[in-house]
Amino acid sequence: MTEEQTIESILVADCGAVNTNLLLLERVAESYRFVAQAETLTTAGAPWNDVSVGVVHAIWDLERITGRKFHANGKVIVPREGLTGVDAFVVILSAPEPLHVVLAGLVPEMSLESASHAVASIYASVEAVLCREGGLRSPEETWARTVRDLAPDVVLLVGGVDGGASRPVMELADAIALGASMLESDRRPRLIYAGNAKLRSQVTKLLGEIVTVDVVDNVRPTVDTEHLGPTQALLEQLYIEQRLYKLPGVDTLSVWSRLPLLPTATAFGRVVEYLWHREGRQERGVLGVDVGAASITIAACQHGELALSVHSQKGSVYGALALAEDEGVAALQQWLPEEMNAAQILAVLYNRALKPWTIPQQLPELWVEQAAVREMLRRAMREARTIWGGSQEDALPGFDPILVSGGSLVHMPRPGQILLALLDGLEPTGISTVLLDTNRAAPALGAIAGIKPLAAASALDAGTLVPLGTVISPVGKAHPGEGILQMRIIYEDGSTLAVEAHYGELELWPLLPGQRATLELRPNRRFDIGLGAPGHGGKVQVMGGLLGLVVDGRGRPLVLPENPEQRRHRLQRWLWDVGG
Amino acid sequence: MILPFSIVNPLTRIEVVRQLPQPGKVLVRERDNVETFQLVAEYTPPPQFAIINVSRELAVPPKKLSPYLEVAVGDAVAEGAVLASRGGLGGRACRAPFAGTVTGSGRGRLLLEAPSRPVQLNALVPGIVARVLPGEGAVIQAWGALIQGVWGNGKEVFGVLRVAVRGAHQSLRAKKLDASLQGAVVVGGSSCDEEALEQAAEMQIGGMIVGGVSPQLMPRLMEMPFPVVATDGVGKVSMSEAIFKLLRSLEGREAALSGRMPDLHRPAWSRLGDVERPYVAVPMPAQNGTVVDRNTPLTLGSRVRALRAPYMGMSGVVVDIPPGFVLLETGARRPCVKVDFEGETVLIPYANLELLL
Repeated sequence: MTEEQTIESILVADCGAVNTNLLLLERVAESYRFVAQAETLTTAGAPWNDVSVGVVHAIWDLERITGRKFHANGKVIVPREGLTGVDAFVVILSAPEPLHVVLAGLVPEMSLESASHAVASIYASVEAVLCREGGLRSPEETWARTVRDLAPDVVLLVGGVDGGASRPVMELADAIALGASMLESDRRPRLIYAGNAKLRSQVTKLLGEIVTVDVVDNVRPTVDTEHLGPTQALLEQLYIEQRLYKLPGVDTLSVWSRLPLLPTATAFGRVVEYLWHREGRQERGVLGVDVGAASITIAACQHGELALSVHSQKGSVYGALALAEDEGVAALQQWLPEEMNAAQILAVLYNRALKPWTIPQQLPELWVEQAAVREMLRRAMREARTIWGGSQEDALPGFDPILVSGGSLVHMPRPGQILLALLDGLEPTGISTVLLDTNRAAPALGAIAGIKPLAAASALDAGTLVPLGTVISPVGKAHPGEGILQMRIIYEDGSTLAVEAHYGELELWPLLPGQRATLELRPNRRFDIGLGAPGHGGKVQVMGGLLGLVVDGRGRPLVLPENPEQRRHRLQRWLWDVGG
Repeated sequence: MILPFSIVNPLTRIEVVRQLPQPGKVLVRERDNVETFQLVAEYTPPPQFAIINVSRELAVPPKKLSPYLEVAVGDAVAEGAVLASRGGLGGRACRAPFAGTVTGSGRGRLLLEAPSRPVQLNALVPGIVARVLPGEGAVIQAWGALIQGVWGNGKEVFGVLRVAVRGAHQSLRAKKLDASLQGAVVVGGSSCDEEALEQAAEMQIGGMIVGGVSPQLMPRLMEMPFPVVATDGVGKVSMSEAIFKLLRSLEGREAALSGRMPDLHRPAWSRLGDVERPYVAVPMPAQNGTVVDRNTPLTLGSRVRALRAPYMGMSGVVVDIPPGFVLLETGARRPCVKVDFEGETVLIPYANLELLL
């Protein structure tokens, strides 16, 4: 019997920027299920400076909940002996600081865009972009100064299609060499060269004595092609080496686990990929969104290809504060169902950033936090769409299912609030089943898939994800109150319900979790519900959920009333409609 | 369950981490006695530099530039010295923007570098060097009162503590700030407005401690020449009674006030614990006191502080730990603790409490 076959009990520690979530997955009868969960504060920083402390505290909670023993003699008990210990201990992390990257390249819309797409696949923050645009008087000096002053972890140098421009790339390389040479050797960045292949030896010769140079395939080998794989793989490897394995206390977890540590975003992407294969529908993609305090991860699997975009430091807590400081509070204010002034909004954002583990006790504070989720999710989606090859303004392609994860979303007090924040943040189109990762199990399952794929698949199929409902989002424009979709709901018991959805409204019809129904859909001729073309209807099988069947008749793109009072009135009504 | 904490203690072990922002040289040894202004570490920032495009300034192609250069790599030059010149009609000269050394040339450009001045770090708190952080700094240990704040403007000072308000709920008024407070660390109650801030700068106070700061005043606070520390939060927050009482009892003593804190835009766990948070430290001659146990559990009788509205900043005592969940105004159900805030007993979610140690 192989080791993989004997694994019946798996403990997963998911160490986030704010909370550490511990999940116990076990074989129950013929399938695997999550049987217990515990959550505590992440302790990667002072005064603990040891991420394993939080994990141990969560284990103690888990021991109290289950009445079993998982930790003894200062380590997790692996392998299991009877009811003591577990067969495998898996660790995933998003707690470390993102990798600090400086991009250097020639054309913002070409190689630099490809470079930023590559960087978006990991927890990274782009600290600066070096290029000739912007009319710098002394660009070399500015570039060198930027590298020297920022002392990034990585400089990603791109530019020139293969066999193309040489001199401008070498000017950038010169400036990077100068900037890096002024730093102490242990603070010098790693240089990844992913530009014109013809210049590899020249770049290596120039920079090799100053910094460690990694040469990978050109991210933009021709004008029309983007080739990100090797750069993404190297960046992920650097993130794992320089951030994951350097987090205080992670060595302890690594000894306990004996399995490779994994970035949470990577694990989350694996689950989205699995869902796509499970659904087996070539024409529909699967979307996963994971909204946390520090970052937002968007994983889209279309035609079997996974596009992962990690929006580091753009999460609902730290990202929203930076947004309010940079642009003012208007973008957040537009989502508030109650009147609040800038000082009140800013105070909530600052206090949340100072104490990110706290929860709102009053409705106005809750609205600010939910506004932050909506706005940050919208911005992350706009960026993600460019990675999928579209423009920021394109409507979202049809995704089914949509997986919702991350503390900022799943910890909202009511399911209706989660759904509304998601609809406002994503603006989905067509017909989508929304699955809620209430226990934040999805990334854990992605990690488990690496050691026991059957267990991950079995747990996913066994109801780990809670269906929030099926959402139909017709795309088109009409007058408020105009009928846009006629629908006959045929329940499993044969009963039927004929209804009509109206433009500008959010409407819910009952369909309980676990129930299925057949829908006969007849959209208005100007509305597209993803069944081929505007006006096209048909029969579809849908599943129920906590909120049942939802028609988001607010149109795409979603437009909020400009008048503040009318807008707040409308937001309150939508909240009321979804039971928020 | 791990509960975050803040130290608000009249006599405890104070451990102050004095760390350079970049690797440098540590100037003290373990067990050294250090005074407030004694240097403990220093580093030299990377050199100042300029890339001078001589070719462009003289309007000479790079390949034909060498006859015009008046300096070579390795030459030291004074500020304004001629680096290259071209005589004749429309003659031009290219001068050094600062004193330094020519360290490189190529493609019509010269690279001029000048060493930067070292940046020095003092002990701030008089005490003993408990640990040396090689290449980074040192941990200074002393005994005395310690109060951890939540927000600071990045500056620090050592001065005499003066209380300029009558109560924790009173905000600091400009008329209370006069010349007698020059150099003093002023305790300002709940908050301060712009007028008081300008008056404080005018009177050259040493530093300011308030309960909360207005978010819209923050950019101005960051520009102030003196440290400002908020003990309880941002917005309309009173200073916690426990903190105000302790500060009032320390009036007239010398205090170290540090407004240094990590970048608010990045998750930083240091805001939970005992280092890299803004603080007021008042060293005492005593050589012992209570040592804070960071794993102190929450029990009946624990001193706690509320972290979110409507009770933010209020301190009290845990009087009951009921089982189960409590429905909050927001609709969330959370485990809660019953806290007595000096007569008013309320249920607060665990997540919104911290221990006062």
